[in-house]
Amino acid sequence: MSLPPVSSETLGHLSDEAPQAPEAGKGKGPVKSQSPLQIAFGRLRRDKVAVACAVIVLFFVLIAIFAGVIANAVGVETGPGSPATELDYLGDGMPLNGPPHYGFDPNHPFGISPSTAEDNLAQWLYGCRTSLTVAALSTIVASLIGVTMGLLAGFLGGIADRIISFVTDLFLTLPYILIALIIAPILNERFALKPDIYPQAQLWSLVAILAGFGWMSVARLVRGEVLSLREREFILSAEVIGMPTRRIMLRELLPNLVAPIVVAVSLMLPAFIAAEAALAYLGIGITQGESWGQTISQATKYFKTYPLYLWEPLIGIVVLVVALNLLGDAIRDAVDPKTRR
Amino acid sequence: MFAYIVKRLLIGVVTIVLVSMAIFALFWYGPSSPARPICNQETSNRCTPERLENFEEQLGYNNPIWSEYGAYVKGVFVGRTIEIGNSTIDCDAPCLGVSQRSRALVWDELIERLPATVSIAAGGAALYLLLGVPIGVAAARRRGSFADKALVSSFLFISSVPYYLFALLAWLYFTLIWDVPILGSSGYTPPWESPWDWFTGLLLPWICLGIFGCTQYTRYTRGAMVEALNEDYIRTATAKGLGPRQVVYRHGLRAALVPVITIFGIDLGVLLAGTLFTEYIFDIQGIGRWGLSATYSLDLPVVSATVLFAAIIMVLSNILVDVMYSALDPRVRLA
Repeated sequence: MSLPPVSSETLGHLSDEAPQAPEAGKGKGPVKSQSPLQIAFGRLRRDKVAVACAVIVLFFVLIAIFAGVIANAVGVETGPGSPATELDYLGDGMPLNGPPHYGFDPNHPFGISPSTAEDNLAQWLYGCRTSLTVAALSTIVASLIGVTMGLLAGFLGGIADRIISFVTDLFLTLPYILIALIIAPILNERFALKPDIYPQAQLWSLVAILAGFGWMSVARLVRGEVLSLREREFILSAEVIGMPTRRIMLRELLPNLVAPIVVAVSLMLPAFIAAEAALAYLGIGITQGESWGQTISQATKYFKTYPLYLWEPLIGIVVLVVALNLLGDAIRDAVDPKTRR
Repeated sequence: MFAYIVKRLLIGVVTIVLVSMAIFALFWYGPSSPARPICNQETSNRCTPERLENFEEQLGYNNPIWSEYGAYVKGVFVGRTIEIGNSTIDCDAPCLGVSQRSRALVWDELIERLPATVSIAAGGAALYLLLGVPIGVAAARRRGSFADKALVSSFLFISSVPYYLFALLAWLYFTLIWDVPILGSSGYTPPWESPWDWFTGLLLPWICLGIFGCTQYTRYTRGAMVEALNEDYIRTATAKGLGPRQVVYRHGLRAALVPVITIFGIDLGVLLAGTLFTEYIFDIQGIGRWGLSATYSLDLPVVSATVLFAAIIMVLSNILVDVMYSALDPRVRLA
């Protein structure tokens, strides 16, 4: 367990000899060389949990991409239904067809919501889209910022490193949720009377908050890696032959950082999905448009009579987040054998 | 050591000043007019441009931002008087402003709500450390056994579920549907009024925080313990005839606790965020709930006080962790 820290390159050679990568030695001709990432991918493919999780994630991604197509095919749409005809106002305000009091309603497979009579399936499909859009955009932005900051801090060193490290620590001081708390009333005050751009403003500020307070872990990770790579021979020789700094960073350093970045990104996605739904649940995230968290917050009131309304988005979030988390964990184990149990 | 603490405190002060400046600037430039929320509030949403002008004048939003920030800082240390509408309010030394909704001093409300938040956080943290560390140690000692594998994978699964959904389901079932005796009655009662009600009211939130947090701490402790038990000095300790108990707890756990404590300090922010959800779900009137409802009603002084409070807690806990780190692990040198 107390192995000396090894870089991804030596790991590649180690794993070639280890029985963990049998296909590397198979075949008749000379041994095919594999990059560390290829080896990691091979390991991942043999991990049953990882494959199952990847299939689940793919399923949700397809739903998010084709939300509109699926909704059309089933014949459901977002937006308020007709509460006057579809809800039992004389009774407890629950739908006249479908759950919770009656059986399956083919027009609304997931049922309709109390008080607004919106179709739950359409809400769910588009909620999935919102969730994955926000998470994917935030992940891209956060990893871009994190990699840039980490590269600059690690490679330039000196004063640049100090400033970037201070900024990183400063951002780590504040949890994203507090910033959301500050931004939400401002957005509300600015855009509440402009319904055409309000949803867009909410989406982009949410991405900005999540990315703005999610890049620090990547930056730290990349900085640490760069600090150790910087002293290696291939970087020194690149410097000696007079390669410009920018080129060293992008062509020499970055390819060696792919593995840690992939790990960081794969663990960032589920965190952002959970965060998006959390903020929507608290009423300070996406309140315009569809979001799983928002549905959960509305459904809490009706839980006693209409539990299905709450379980639909809840299962969506839990399954997606758990699958992504387990997948991320498997990726980390595949890339770094030191964490293997 | 002393020089290090002073240096860390100085950096902490700089951080808090920067954060307070950022919050102040956000609320100054963020809204279309910083006086708009209070103007709407005062005139019951009939805020005409002239009235807005009046409020801007009265609240000092026509002055340059740095002079108003100066007044704010002065208020924090010396106190000041604040005029809103027709009323004049004396705001004594730690003056964080006046709540626009309730007209109460923000500082007083903060102090009033502090015990609830501290109760939740302290109880939850105590529970997850008390559960997580021993379970982690036990798992590390039986590393590779069936029990260990089952524990690791089930805890990995639990910790993958977002905390607020976990807590929400607990509340929905234990309180709303089943109405379990003792567990079901969640809410905050000050312990000096009725210790029993305080305990029963917070029991479910504590258990939620405890179970959820202990999964993480079990993982950290187990990992650190496995590493520590493979060290040479553990073999030395066993070789010189120490009992297994002493080897594991005196020699192994002491080294293993260092990373756990670091994570505990870093996690304080997560814990604060956790109490925000906990307060929201279990309807406990703590600081998180207060900040959240201030967000809905655009009560800007309250929101900024909440965020500032959280930032100060984070900075202090980070410093504390670094100091404890060196006290626990003699290998760490502070520079």
